[in-house]
Amino acid sequence: MAFAVLLVTMLAGAMNYNNNLGFALGFVLAGLGIAGIYHAHGILDGLQLHCLGAEPVFAGELLRVRFLLRDEAGVDRRELFLDWPGTAPVAAGPAALASRCVELPLATQRRGWQALPALRLQTRAPLGLVRAWSWVHIDSRQLVYPRPAPAGSVQPPAAAAASSTGRRPQSRDGDSFAGLRPYRPGDTPRRIVWRRYLRGTGLVVGEDHDSETQAPPCFDWDAMAGHSDARAARLARLVIDAAAAGVHWRLRLPGSELGSAGGQRHLHHCLARLAVAGLPADEA
Amino acid sequence: MAAAASTRQSMEDSPQQLAWAAGALLLGGLPHLLAVAPWIPLLLLGCGLWRIGAARRGWPLPALWIRIPLAVLGFLAVAISYRSISGIQAGSALLLVMGAMKLLETRGQRDRMVLIFISLFLLFAAFLREQAIGMLAWLVAGTLGISAALLQTARQESLLPMAGALRLAARLLVQALPLAAVLFILFPRLPGPFWSLPDKASSGISGLSEEIRPGDISALGLSDAIAFRARFRDGTPPAGALYWRGPVLEHFDGRGWSVRRPPASTPPAAVETDGVQYSYELVLEPQGGRWLLALETPLQWSAPRAGLGPAMELLNTEPIHDRFSYRARSAIGGSVRSAIGAEGLAANLQLPAGRNPRTLELATRLRAAATDDRDYLQRLLQLFHEQPFRYSLKPPLLGAQPVDEFLFDTRSGFCEHYASALAVLARAAGIPARVVAGYQGGEHNPIGDYWIIRQAHAHAWVEAWVDGAWRRIDPTAAVAPERIERGIGEILAGAPGGMRLWRSSRVVGGVVLSWDAVNAAWDRWVLAFGPEAQERLLLGLGFRMPRPLQLALLAGAAASLCLVLLAWLGGRRRQGARDRLRQRYDGLCRRLAAATGRPRRPGETPSAYASVVAGLRPDLAAETLALTTLYLQLRYGGSGDTRDTAAFSRRLRRFRPARAPAARGRR
Repeated sequence: MAFAVLLVTMLAGAMNYNNNLGFALGFVLAGLGIAGIYHAHGILDGLQLHCLGAEPVFAGELLRVRFLLRDEAGVDRRELFLDWPGTAPVAAGPAALASRCVELPLATQRRGWQALPALRLQTRAPLGLVRAWSWVHIDSRQLVYPRPAPAGSVQPPAAAAASSTGRRPQSRDGDSFAGLRPYRPGDTPRRIVWRRYLRGTGLVVGEDHDSETQAPPCFDWDAMAGHSDARAARLARLVIDAAAAGVHWRLRLPGSELGSAGGQRHLHHCLARLAVAGLPADEA
Repeated sequence: MAAAASTRQSMEDSPQQLAWAAGALLLGGLPHLLAVAPWIPLLLLGCGLWRIGAARRGWPLPALWIRIPLAVLGFLAVAISYRSISGIQAGSALLLVMGAMKLLETRGQRDRMVLIFISLFLLFAAFLREQAIGMLAWLVAGTLGISAALLQTARQESLLPMAGALRLAARLLVQALPLAAVLFILFPRLPGPFWSLPDKASSGISGLSEEIRPGDISALGLSDAIAFRARFRDGTPPAGALYWRGPVLEHFDGRGWSVRRPPASTPPAAVETDGVQYSYELVLEPQGGRWLLALETPLQWSAPRAGLGPAMELLNTEPIHDRFSYRARSAIGGSVRSAIGAEGLAANLQLPAGRNPRTLELATRLRAAATDDRDYLQRLLQLFHEQPFRYSLKPPLLGAQPVDEFLFDTRSGFCEHYASALAVLARAAGIPARVVAGYQGGEHNPIGDYWIIRQAHAHAWVEAWVDGAWRRIDPTAAVAPERIERGIGEILAGAPGGMRLWRSSRVVGGVVLSWDAVNAAWDRWVLAFGPEAQERLLLGLGFRMPRPLQLALLAGAAASLCLVLLAWLGGRRRQGARDRLRQRYDGLCRRLAAATGRPRRPGETPSAYASVVAGLRPDLAAETLALTTLYLQLRYGGSGDTRDTAAFSRRLRRFRPARAPAARGRR
């Protein structure tokens, strides 16, 4: 804008003094401004942008979405910036014929699948006179775990193991195959029911009554009070604490149950299920 | 995010960017530094040093309460130094002061941008001072340097190396050129000025004046400055016939001659002549007067705002403040009939009463002896020729009766003395006569085949009304014929003046003339391009009566065409660059195929092909694998910048695998 004022002033002066070199300078600068627009467009044009996704985070934390930007057109795009609406732009452009990986933080509010907002690519290069920008709609969604309830605010139901079994529907216990479940990595070989394996049903792990008495705690969705987000938060806290304590646990959710296991892998599995548990189908 | 923010923070304060902006200011300000008041460069230097100290040594920058009074002080200082704050001199001084002040508070991109805009405006102001061809180089250097500074200033993430910035600036400027050229030619040129030009008028380019006072000048200042250049289109008149008419002086006050203001009702002269006609093109240097120089009797001219005055002088409606080019057609020699009217004739007989009595007495005596007016004028010329009159550039000053003293006592003078005396003598004998000021002769430049007419060629002669027509009479020719025949240079050869002696050397003269030819072309094609020339050009291209609006439309259309072309070229170039790496790799594969006889199969990965080649030609294995790895790194690794690509290309060029022995044997 200031540049346009400068040009108009220059041309008026050149016209007044009938100064041809002044005209020449004014017109060259006008041409420069126009060429700058093309160059700014060129910085966006032909750029390859890949969304590499993000590690899941708890609601309220920053989701760090990673992007790979690559130039194959020989254009120096280092002055390219990425941002979501309302966040600070992050320099992201690769040099000519190079790639660059950047992380763009995105605030999360609540658990569940979070669609990425439209991403803005913009640059003021080469002259700083115009800004070229483009919106990119990325068809990708990232999982956000429920924000765990504050530590110590939820009592683990481990002490009430009996009650937990007592609350189990008897029909399940009576089922002849109730004590058996498919093998999962991490199950001790001791529990594998080799007889069944020989019968050709694959590896099956038995949950015998001995282990039932010292059963791992079962964290039950239905045992929690409150709305679904609050339940998810408390269950998240429970599974996190259990994982930290190195014990096994079970997680029972509406319509599904995650069997007894421990460790980080099981933790993430549970958190992922908790992220969407109780949410309407279109959000889950 | 924190990392990104800190990067931007550090870029905001990048000393290199500050250096670029300061360099731009210097580049724009340089042409002014010697022309402005001496305290301004000192101020600039001081502010610059302070800023450097602040950037390097961490000196504190002045606080706001220092900066504001300082700026007010600078403003006042300019106003006092120049007694004005507008105009080229004061304006550029003010810009320099503002730039210096801005330097002290430059912290971020915004401030640097302001500095760069000031530089651009200083560059523009430099052209208002001077438009010689040398300034073209300044235009190129200035725009290149300042554009590069603008590029650097705009960068937030990483600076370009100096060569890279200049290269990118050059590329942008080259892309800007077609549009600039189209606009230069087609942009509607409105005849200015719209506001006053105080500086131009006061810095006054000396030219012809509206009056001559022969007795008051003791030494004629002969300037080498160029008055105009002229190029004949078909046939050149002899040098002795080149009388370029300027102001016609019809009013005599007993001492000097001046332009008469005829009654407003006087019609422009209608001319009829039997002289030989010549066409020519003239590029007039700015002179501040309204006269358009033309050979003797102008018949046609291409200056739309010019017309023939009552004394057959070609007058523009506006004073000429800029180089101005026009074509004209004139008749030389012969008698010129023009309806002058009784008022005009009476005015050309006017003599102040009681002045120069001896001259009047001489006129009466000679007229009585002559058979007719023609014979009388002839006798006057003879008188100048035979009596001991001397042509001198340093005549003595004359007293109260200047014509008497010149004719009877001093008998020494230059063209103005002779013209004045002859005109008085003619009027005294009842022959209407007037003095014409202008230029005589010129210096022929064989390189460009044109004539250079300098201020030193200024001349004055007489026109007398004989037998119902104006005739040119040049008394100086009777006294110093060599002045007319061979030009003023001959007369000056003996006079001191290193420049002229210097120019008489053949080689130097050739160089001087070549340089002048370049300047002439510059003036003619570039600087003299104004509203009139634009109109001529468009008429020549077949446009009828181009009006500003039509012109604007035309300029817009042509500019759009340029833009489309630019976009198309840009797209093509990118397309080319996109696959350059791939092309190079394909070249490698062709060479390997020729060397091994096993081309790369479609879909075969580079690594797979490299191992196949390595199996076939163990001697090529190392280099092939190395090149393939490099290619894969460049293409997919994302490590590479352009230098790595260049290194890859160089290594690839050196790789010339020999054919397999078997293949060679078959040939």
